[in-house]
This record gives sequence, C-alpha cells and structure tokens, in this order.
Amino acid sequence: MKKDTTYKDILEARGVNRRDFLKFCSLMSVYLGFSSTLVPKIVRAMETKPRIPVIWLHGLECTCCSESFIRSSHPITADIVLNMISLDYDDTLSAAAGDQLEAVRKQIMKEYKGQYILAVEGNAPTKDDGVYCMVNGDSFTNMLKETAADAMAVIAWGSCASFGCVQNAKPNPTGATPIHKLIKDKPLVNVPGCPPIAEVMTGVITHLLTFGKLPELDRLKRPKAFYGTRIHDKCYRRPYFDAGMFVESFDDEAANKGWCLYKMGCKGPTTFNACSTVKWNEGTSYPIQAGHPCLGCSEPGFWDNGPFYTRLADVSFLGTNANADTIGKVAVGAAAAGMAAHAVGTAIKNKKQNPLTTNEGEG
Amino acid sequence: MEHVIEEQYVWQLPVRVYHWINGLCVTFLFITGLYIASPVLSPAIGEAVWYHKMAWFRYVHFGSAFIFLANFIFRLYWALFGDDKYGRFAGFKPWSPVWWGQPFNEQLKSYLFIKKEEPNYCGHNPVAALTHFLFIFCGSVFMILTGLAMYGENNPGGFTDTLFGWVVLIFGSSQSMHTIHHVVAWVFPVYLVLHLYAVIRHDIVDRSSITSSIITGYKHKVEECPE
Repeated sequence: MKKDTTYKDILEARGVNRRDFLKFCSLMSVYLGFSSTLVPKIVRAMETKPRIPVIWLHGLECTCCSESFIRSSHPITADIVLNMISLDYDDTLSAAAGDQLEAVRKQIMKEYKGQYILAVEGNAPTKDDGVYCMVNGDSFTNMLKETAADAMAVIAWGSCASFGCVQNAKPNPTGATPIHKLIKDKPLVNVPGCPPIAEVMTGVITHLLTFGKLPELDRLKRPKAFYGTRIHDKCYRRPYFDAGMFVESFDDEAANKGWCLYKMGCKGPTTFNACSTVKWNEGTSYPIQAGHPCLGCSEPGFWDNGPFYTRLADVSFLGTNANADTIGKVAVGAAAAGMAAHAVGTAIKNKKQNPLTTNEGEG
Repeated sequence: MEHVIEEQYVWQLPVRVYHWINGLCVTFLFITGLYIASPVLSPAIGEAVWYHKMAWFRYVHFGSAFIFLANFIFRLYWALFGDDKYGRFAGFKPWSPVWWGQPFNEQLKSYLFIKKEEPNYCGHNPVAALTHFLFIFCGSVFMILTGLAMYGENNPGGFTDTLFGWVVLIFGSSQSMHTIHHVVAWVFPVYLVLHLYAVIRHDIVDRSSITSSIITGYKHKVEECPE
C-alpha cells in the first residue's frame, strides 16, 4: 500500500460506506469534546491528509495497551491500528523481525524525518546501561532516543510509558524511567492507564490527525478531554458516597446493593480518567460498575500507594509499612511519654533546688 | 520573689482571638479529616439522596479549612504589621547565627535540665518560637497548600486548581498527596501535647499565669524578665 494514501482511500478500499465513516467522525468529535461544527473538519482531514507514519516501540511492558487498542468499540476505530495510521514499525504486530524490521525503522526515520509519530508502549530501564531491555543488540534506551530524535511528536501509551507503572514501583531494580523523563525536546502526550481506554487512544490519534498537533494537555501532559475529571466526580455510585453508605466487605449486603466502594480502597477520588464516562468494551462497564474498587491505574506511582483494598495507603516508616494513623498515634504517644518524663524531671529538680516549694502556699 | 510585682498585658485581643479560632478550626479539621479517611459511623438506611452523612463531614472540613486559612492570613498580617511587641515575628530570625546564640542556648539547656536557671520571657522564648514556627507555621502552610490543591481537583482548570494544582506534582500523584496530608495532620495533636505540657509546666515553675493569659491577655510578673 502506498504510504501517502489518505484515510478515505483506505476506508473505501475496505468497503466502509459513507454513512459509517461520518458516524465515526462524529463519535470522535464527541469523545474529544468538540462542538458538532468541528465534525466537517475531522471529515476533511480524514479525506485529504495522508496517513501519518507511526513507529510503535515496545519497551518494558506487557502489551496490554495494544490489546486495548485493537478492542476499540467502533469498527472503523479498530481499523486505525492496522490500516489508518501507517503503522510501519511495530515489533509485536509485524510479520518481519530482526534486521529486516530494523531496516524498515531506519528507512522511515530517513524518509519521513520530522514527520512521523513515535508511539511508545512501555518504558526504558536505564540502570546498568539499559541491559534489562535489549532490542536487536542495542539497549531500548538508545533505540528510543535515536528514534525520538527525528519524530514529529511522541505518544506515551499507557501508565508504563507515562509514569513508570509496575516496573518503576519501589525499589525499581532496573531503573525503569518513563518516556517524558528521557525525551524532553519533543511534543509529548501521556495517555496513562493500565491499559488506557481504547477510545481514548484513538481519540488522541484522531486529534493529532485533524489538527496536526497534540490535544490540549494538563500538568501531567495528559489530554484534558479524557483526563479532565476524577472518576469519583462522574461515578454513578457517588450518591452513596455522599450519603455515607459504604461497602464494608465484598460479600456484604451493601456490595450486593451496589453501594460506594470507598472503604474497599477505591481510588476513584484521586484518579483522573474517563472510565466512568467512556467506559470499557464498547461502553459496557468499568471496574466500579462491576463491583470492584478503582485501583487508580492511570495515576503516577499507583503501585506504591497500596494496599489496593484499603483507603489509607501504607507509608514507609522506620523500616516498616504503617499507615498514616499508626505513625500519628506513635508520634503522639512518644510526645506524651517524653512530656511525662520531663514532668518527672522537673519535679525532681524542684525538690532538689527548693525543698520547701511545695509547702509555700500563695494565699 | 513570689509576689506579683507587675501585671503585664502580653497577648493583645487579635492574638487571643486568633489562638482560639485556630484551636477550634484545627480540632474540627482533625476530627472531620480522620472521619473522611475512615467513615466509621453506620450508614443511614434509605434513599441515598436524602442522606449527607459523608457530605457533611467534608463540608465541615472544607468550611473550617477556609476559616483556618483566613485566620492564618490575619495572623501573618498582624505578625508583620501589627502594633504588638509580643505578637510580632520581628524577633524571630532563625537565619541569623545571633538568634541561635545565648538566649536560645540557655533556654534549651534549661529545658534539658543541663542548666538550673529557668529563663522567664514575657512573650515566646526562643525555643517556643522555633517550635511554633516548625509545627504551626510550617505545618499550616503545608496543610493549606496540599489542602487547596486537593480542593481544586474537583474542577481542573478552575480558580483553585490553577493557583494550587502544581502542588500535586511535588508528590507525584493525588493519592500520595492525600497520604502525606494525612500524615502531616498528626503534627497538630503532637504539637498539642507539647504545647499543653509546656504551658502548664511554665505556669507551675514561673507562676506567670501563662495559662489564663491566653484568655485575659495578662501575665503576672513575679520576678524581673531577663529581656
């Protein structure tokens, strides 16, 4: 297939009719929070712009982002991954491997210098010269830097690439480092989640295609359209939270009735993602709807904010794992003991200095 | 020596009012904060929309927080611009080696029973000033910044989030910030223990009516102040 074919060409070749095509464009506009007046712009971009070449690298990761991506709800959305973006290099999906595939990567980097998108799934281990993730005889860290040098933009797929995820949870033995700490001179978007929601992933690509730039990002470089609200604020169980009606154990009556999972460790109140609106698997459900507390998988360091099933996170404290209240009670106890000891000291000192003190009334 | 030789007006009304509003707010904040982290009361039974048990604790928490903040700002104003010898922060210069010198040393040694003499100050002694700075000033600033950052999270891009949302970046994630906010909250009960002990002890040792001074404003001088 020619590299400069447009999306429309591909869709026509695949027998997608105009009606479905327009439906897809409208859906994307809704996900991205655009007004309906922007739909024609998306349509036009899809019809006229050549496909963007994408190099999709896999570092330390589990491929759950790819798995999520190919389960996009809309049929055309699913097409994106295999046809619409010119996915020229993806070592998981490619038939070729080894030197052949690396040659393709080098060729894209040369032919489309400054025009291709670098999509990274997973992160790079930086300890010991990056030996913990080797690709074709070189470290993934080097490969990442080399490929990023001529990229138009970088997409960090998933929590691994965005924040580090399980690989850089304490004690982070391989020195796993999120992409934004290694690539600083390119426009970069973080699409966290373990995995991210498929529609969120395609939404980001559609935006990139339509406007030729990254969507509006927040402080953590996440697209505002999808990571702009807490799961908690749009959770359908929120009334139970406000009322103080909580599930206390997974097999109690409250769990059965679908009350709030806050006391079961739900991280919804501290997690920014679109789960409670876009949902998963064609809008079927999301963890809280299925009766499981949110783990906060799209938040930085969520593995280190455990345990998953308690509200209060454990904190390293004098070599133990205690929660905030244990630390506080120990501190207050220590202060009280210290003051009691000091009081005894004061009494002894007063006795020594002035044995008559206690007998001298003020009256 | 034990006769009251002078009545001294030490704590002006703004300082006393600040003290008690602050104490009340911290109490409310601490109790409601603990409740928000572990809502222990048994749930109301009925349609969720009619009950606001959790919502009320959060409402009181946020309400007291804003009173606490206003009160704190007022105290800073008074400390910098108030016509108040004892309430000003002018004498507190921890960046200067002179401040850490003789008076601080003597007070610390006295507390540690190394020195027999009990220095007697009208306002705060240097060790007390340092303790207030670490626990109350730093503690409050920390709780206010992290608190406002969390408060802004319900509306990213809004006023509070725009001004204070950057604080989250220091802690990595919102959840970590919640945890640290919870840990640092315990600074206040720890301080309360130290504070109450120190006040009662000074009252007994110095006989300066320090306990009632935060209500009346007056201390009683039983000997010369080594100012």
